[in-house]
Amino acid sequence: MIFYISGILLILIGMYAVLTKKNIIKIIIGLSIVDSGINLLLIAIGYVNDGTAPIFSNETLKAVDMVDPVPQALVLTAIVIGLGVTAVALALVIRLYDHHKTLNINKIRKLKW
Amino acid sequence: MTSITGILGITFGAALLTFLLHHLVPKLRNIVAILAVGATGYIAWQMPIDSYMTHFTIGSFDIIWGNSEYSKLFALLISVLGFFALIYSHDFMAGKKRLGYYYMNFLIAIGSMYGIVYSQDLISLFFFWEIMTWSSFLLIIYCCKDSQQVGLKYFIFSAIGAYSILIALVLIYANLGSVTFIKVFAQFGSMSFEVQLSSVILLLIGFGVKSAIMPLHVWAPKSYAISPSPFTAVFSGALSKMGVFGIGIVLFKLASQGGYYIYVKEILAWIGGITALLATFYAVFQTDAKKLLAYSSVGQLGYIVVGLAIGTPLSIMAALFLAVLHAAFKGALFLATGAVYHRTGTTDMNEVSGLVRKMPYTFLTALMGIIAVSGVPPLGGFAGKWMLYQSLIESDHYFLVIVVFASSTAAFLYLYRYIFSLFLGQEEKEFEDVKEVSWLMRIPMLTLVIFTLVVGVAPGLLLEPISGAMGYLGVGATQFETTVIWNAWGNKIDMFTIMNSIGILFGIAFVFITVKGFKSGRYVTTKDIHTSGEVPTENENLTYAVDFYKPFERALGWVLKPSVDKFYNKIATNLEHAFDHLRYIYTGNGQTYAMYVVIFLVILIAFSELIFGVKL
Amino acid sequence: MNISPVHFIAVPLLAAFLIPIIGRFSKEFVKVIPGIVLLYLSYVAISLFPVALKTPIVEVLAGWKPPFGISLVYGPLAAYLTALITLMGFVIWVYSYKFIIREPIEKYYMLFMLLITGSTGIILTGDIFNMFVFLEITAIAAYSLTAFLRDKDGAEAAFKYLLIGSFASSFFLLAVMLLYASTGTLNLAEITSKIDSVAMSTRILILILFLVGLGIEAELFPLNGWAPDAYSQAPSPIGAIFGGIVVKAAIYALMRLVFLLFNFSEVFHFLLIMGIITMIVAEMSAMKQQQIKRMLAFSSIGQMGLVIIAFSVGTSDSVQAALFQMFNHAVIKALLFFAAGYLVFHSGSKKISALDGLGRDKPLTSFFFALGALAIIGLPPFAGFWSKLYILISVADAGLITAVVLVLIASVIEAVYYLRVVSRLYFNKESAQETEVRRTPLTGLLAMGVLALVIIVVGIYPDYIWNLLKPAAEELVNKAEYIRIALLK
Repeated sequence: MIFYISGILLILIGMYAVLTKKNIIKIIIGLSIVDSGINLLLIAIGYVNDGTAPIFSNETLKAVDMVDPVPQALVLTAIVIGLGVTAVALALVIRLYDHHKTLNINKIRKLKW
Repeated sequence: MTSITGILGITFGAALLTFLLHHLVPKLRNIVAILAVGATGYIAWQMPIDSYMTHFTIGSFDIIWGNSEYSKLFALLISVLGFFALIYSHDFMAGKKRLGYYYMNFLIAIGSMYGIVYSQDLISLFFFWEIMTWSSFLLIIYCCKDSQQVGLKYFIFSAIGAYSILIALVLIYANLGSVTFIKVFAQFGSMSFEVQLSSVILLLIGFGVKSAIMPLHVWAPKSYAISPSPFTAVFSGALSKMGVFGIGIVLFKLASQGGYYIYVKEILAWIGGITALLATFYAVFQTDAKKLLAYSSVGQLGYIVVGLAIGTPLSIMAALFLAVLHAAFKGALFLATGAVYHRTGTTDMNEVSGLVRKMPYTFLTALMGIIAVSGVPPLGGFAGKWMLYQSLIESDHYFLVIVVFASSTAAFLYLYRYIFSLFLGQEEKEFEDVKEVSWLMRIPMLTLVIFTLVVGVAPGLLLEPISGAMGYLGVGATQFETTVIWNAWGNKIDMFTIMNSIGILFGIAFVFITVKGFKSGRYVTTKDIHTSGEVPTENENLTYAVDFYKPFERALGWVLKPSVDKFYNKIATNLEHAFDHLRYIYTGNGQTYAMYVVIFLVILIAFSELIFGVKL
Repeated sequence: MNISPVHFIAVPLLAAFLIPIIGRFSKEFVKVIPGIVLLYLSYVAISLFPVALKTPIVEVLAGWKPPFGISLVYGPLAAYLTALITLMGFVIWVYSYKFIIREPIEKYYMLFMLLITGSTGIILTGDIFNMFVFLEITAIAAYSLTAFLRDKDGAEAAFKYLLIGSFASSFFLLAVMLLYASTGTLNLAEITSKIDSVAMSTRILILILFLVGLGIEAELFPLNGWAPDAYSQAPSPIGAIFGGIVVKAAIYALMRLVFLLFNFSEVFHFLLIMGIITMIVAEMSAMKQQQIKRMLAFSSIGQMGLVIIAFSVGTSDSVQAALFQMFNHAVIKALLFFAAGYLVFHSGSKKISALDGLGRDKPLTSFFFALGALAIIGLPPFAGFWSKLYILISVADAGLITAVVLVLIASVIEAVYYLRVVSRLYFNKESAQETEVRRTPLTGLLAMGVLALVIIVVGIYPDYIWNLLKPAAEELVNKAEYIRIALLK
């Protein structure tokens, strides 16, 4: 349960950062926090209390004692994707700072209407 | 390959060919265009009556093209007018730029008109209707100053009209499952009352826009004024008749199946009458010759609509007669005005004057043209108007007779202004070396005028095909002979006698007035003191044509002040303003956009019961 | 022996990896690779098309039979969309060949290949998480391409796109997670057969998350703030890719999920209203745009609104019309972006007001733009006419006359702003100062010419494409059929 709550909390904190912070680096940090929250939730779905890794390492293990491997695979993928997005975002931030000499998102709005 | 596919293939093929030839062999371009329209005219003339000539399907739609007497009448009108306008173009457009574009769009417009008249289903009618719209739009913006605004206005109105037709089309399709004329004509009455009435109204709006009936006419004056003259002739003569063509079908093939028929007719007749009257007044106060003719066209189309809407055999006959005739004489007038423009570079009546000696043939065309418009014998306009008045009286529309008669009389005012300002009066110095236009431009004008003369003397020649067309519309024609029409009370009206007597009278009066006007006039220079002591400045225009009808303007100005045009413009500016403000929701701030996303999500979750019927 | 549909994903992905490596040796060869790849894929798409119409191909990856492994489902709909994407991709490549002259060319083509991979992946995959991965591949490539010109505005647009796009992927992933939690599988067909046992409220929550997540990519109002910026700042061929490929894939994903998992009338009503709002707001916003590509972007959003309207009527006819409109929009909007690209290039300004009289200096490019404008308004005899007509008829058949009227009002607005540009192009500028003549390269003209030809041919003879779309539409509407196909039953 604690995983679910903390996952959702992380998502909300991240969103709060994205929506209110003016510094674009903080916004990107917010996005990463959202990502972590979702990843945590995903893991939590497949988690079985006191379960072990889903590897048939000894004969006595039963499937019900193992955590669900699928969400873990998903999370691995999601983390990689999140990493890629963050990398692109930071690259864009460098470009933006070069051009605008500011990181304030309110000042980067030449394209409008 | 049937005749109709041949006609469409030739015109559209020629359109492409002219565009290509423009870059390869410019000389051939004009000839190809003229030959193409001539050839299609011949095919249209020879084509047998067959309402199911070409048939194929696109998707689930049945596409049927066929020839009826009604189609044939309009097809011939298109081809003859187009043919002469193209001959005229040869010299008129010589030396102008982007002629490939001009000829291509001209031919596309003509081809699409053929398509409209030969369509035997609503899909292909709409298909060609839209092609006609954009090709004529492209020709309007071909020209020069402020053509963009004018062209856009034309297109917006046309689009509104076309989409009205489209809504009616989908309504009918949803109800009947087919939009072929055969099926629609047969089963229109079986639809529910609301659907019938709304499709009739929508169709009438759609066709009404093209035939410029008020209050949908505002695009017409400027579009006519600005398009190249040969095309204006086709525009006013043939293209606007497509609206008439459609109104005829809607009234007599569709609306006549419902109980609302008489009301629709009556209202439409009144709209036509008011259009005729107001347009005439507007025409009186124009200073630009082409605009004057444009308003005159709107007025004439008003007569035609009146005639159709009255719906008695004689009135329909009058309407179709006027429709064909209007194409001829208004075509001739636009070509004559074009000739003036060709030589002087302007159509402003305050500037041009005294061209009668320089351009006698053009003058002759214009003179005959205005006689025909005003409905004075012996030209064709008389017979048409006579029939119209008679049918109005027969069907007890006395009030409407007064309206129509008033506008017809007022038409004299602008016609006189037209001929007097341009051709009569003092010869201006700057137009001293103006020469008559070439024969290639004279022949089309004169031919059209001669046609009105012949038809005026022997209306029966034209009434023959018209009665055939009326048979298609399901209305029996009145009895007629070459020069004689019977009226409803069985009296013979011998056009020839009436014309001779009235015509001679008018001729004498006209000659008398004109000659007297010449004699008593005196040549004044700009230094002549006739301005009550005030010394006119150099650039003050002292031509007599300025404020030609000032007293009338004072008397009638208030009628014309509340212009629908301004009303539409106001709507348009307000809408644009609103749109302009609307786009401020795209603030440019990424965070705001993110906020929109979250708000959208929250709304969906919060109101899920309302939206999806499930509480979260 | 048929070629496996895996090639649609694997070949461009491989090319995307190889391009930067080969780029070290030969810049010229790099430019040719995507062409070869896309030509090959187009060939595969066309040759597989009749096969897919007869017996849909289900490609099982790594030997795990569905619903356990990841599978590719290549039915009529997927066949149609992959054919559209690969063919459009090829035309866009032809155009790009001389248009993209800015370094780093190999990066451009790498990202281009990734976009193709992602889009075809979204369409082919039968696995919901896999769909997420492909969405992200597409998105990351799209962000980077938006900023490709390395200018101030490009970076800004890309950042906004990224910000909103990350939201989209987060919500999508949440929805996937919920689906997995409630059905225990990721296979789309398996989920479909189990979805009815899921509690209604969960189902709706999942739907909402999908709607927001995919709605962002599909440019649903008010989630489309990124779109005008991204379209207008990306290089012109990329604008064409966004409008012609990426958004199409997103709409496909949205509609596939809605038809399979959330087949309720309320959902369709909601989508219908959203489609109408999207269309109207976009067309109104486009009205007063100063920049031509921004105007095109808003017009694209409006067209997507129209497509959504048609989809959400939900009958087989309307879906067929929507698919037809998607095809037409891809072709026409690509033509418009192509022409606009060179018009902007020639006039030296992105402003519409700078286009005065270009019709004379650049007759062919202007002609193509004018043709595209007439076609997208829906005038005959061009392709846009038929799809609009079919949409209107199917909407009217469902008794939604108000929607018909609104669509036509939007069309009038659309006509106004497009024709304003067209009349500017053909406006006779009196004093045209002689600028240095820069010619539109042959490849650019070729690409535009091909598209123009397609527009006219389809406009005169729409039947061929229309009939091809019938099985595709039926596949989308009929979910039992999809389950049967995808689970190899």
